[in-house]
Amino acid sequence: MKMGFAAFGAASAVLLAVGPAEARPVSYPGGWTWMQMNNGDYSSLHVHYSPTFRDSIGIYSERNWGEDWHFTGVQYNRLVKRWNEKTSQANLYFKAAAGQADPFGPESAELAGFVGVAADWETRRWFTSYEARAYDVGSNQTARQAARVGIAPYIGDFGDLHTWLMLQVENQPESETPTTVTPLVRFFYNVQLLEIGYTPETEEFMLNWIIRF
Amino acid sequence: MSKMMTMTLGAAAIALAIPAAVAQSPEAETAQPGATLLTVSVKGMVCDFCAQAVTKVFGRNDAVDGVHVDLDNGEIHVGLKPGMSLSDEEVETLVNKSGYAMVSLEREAL
Repeated sequence: MKMGFAAFGAASAVLLAVGPAEARPVSYPGGWTWMQMNNGDYSSLHVHYSPTFRDSIGIYSERNWGEDWHFTGVQYNRLVKRWNEKTSQANLYFKAAAGQADPFGPESAELAGFVGVAADWETRRWFTSYEARAYDVGSNQTARQAARVGIAPYIGDFGDLHTWLMLQVENQPESETPTTVTPLVRFFYNVQLLEIGYTPETEEFMLNWIIRF
Repeated sequence: MSKMMTMTLGAAAIALAIPAAVAQSPEAETAQPGATLLTVSVKGMVCDFCAQAVTKVFGRNDAVDGVHVDLDNGEIHVGLKPGMSLSDEEVETLVNKSGYAMVSLEREAL
């Protein structure tokens, strides 16, 4: 029980410290997922529950230092289509969130939300993905898109440590540096996925963490 | 940088607090006499999250004694409890419910 409280405390601390790009936003029926994404412009936390393998719903919080707002709301994710092949899988997702945006400074909170689409295709060797989001955070409307390619230098079986070398290109038209390229390494072990990257244009680190349980 | 440190420490704490809950069940390969072993060939399983989904969904079924996922061959090995059975349709439903597609199913009495 003490460990449970410790986990809750740590989780709360992380939530307060941060605030999005998401892989596999739905899980298996009855599965929970914790997705924490951080880079120099924004941080996010998305905790969701999947009642079916096609749907998930949860909380989403994003603190955006690049555009000076903090969003907290409820997010729904839908697996629109999955293509299962013998050695590959491809997915098309829809995402939407509604909640409240608190601009940094004296302005009051406003209703806010975003919609997004995401797609991925992967084998055990290759990975590609694309995601686009449009935000309406009160006085600020913005958009963001990101694409990734990745390769696994070796193939492991279930339960092994999997390593991926990836390259992410992200575009945020409103940002000071609209387009960035981030090389990153993904470590995938059991139910945990950790990504560490560095963006030379902004001289900022990326740290993403996903756990499914 | 302090924000990054806080996040890293928080992540590490949570990782230690949450048990690794998805170890494969050895029972599927050491099933009891009188049990049945199913070998299910599946499309779409490409990562550990896929294997985790299959393990969880099959593992919740009362007839299932153990589950082993072979990503290399795209197979699920399911050990059934002695005297228990799953029909082809039930197996396919469990595969679909996990998010994947069944290709074939073989049964072996132990």
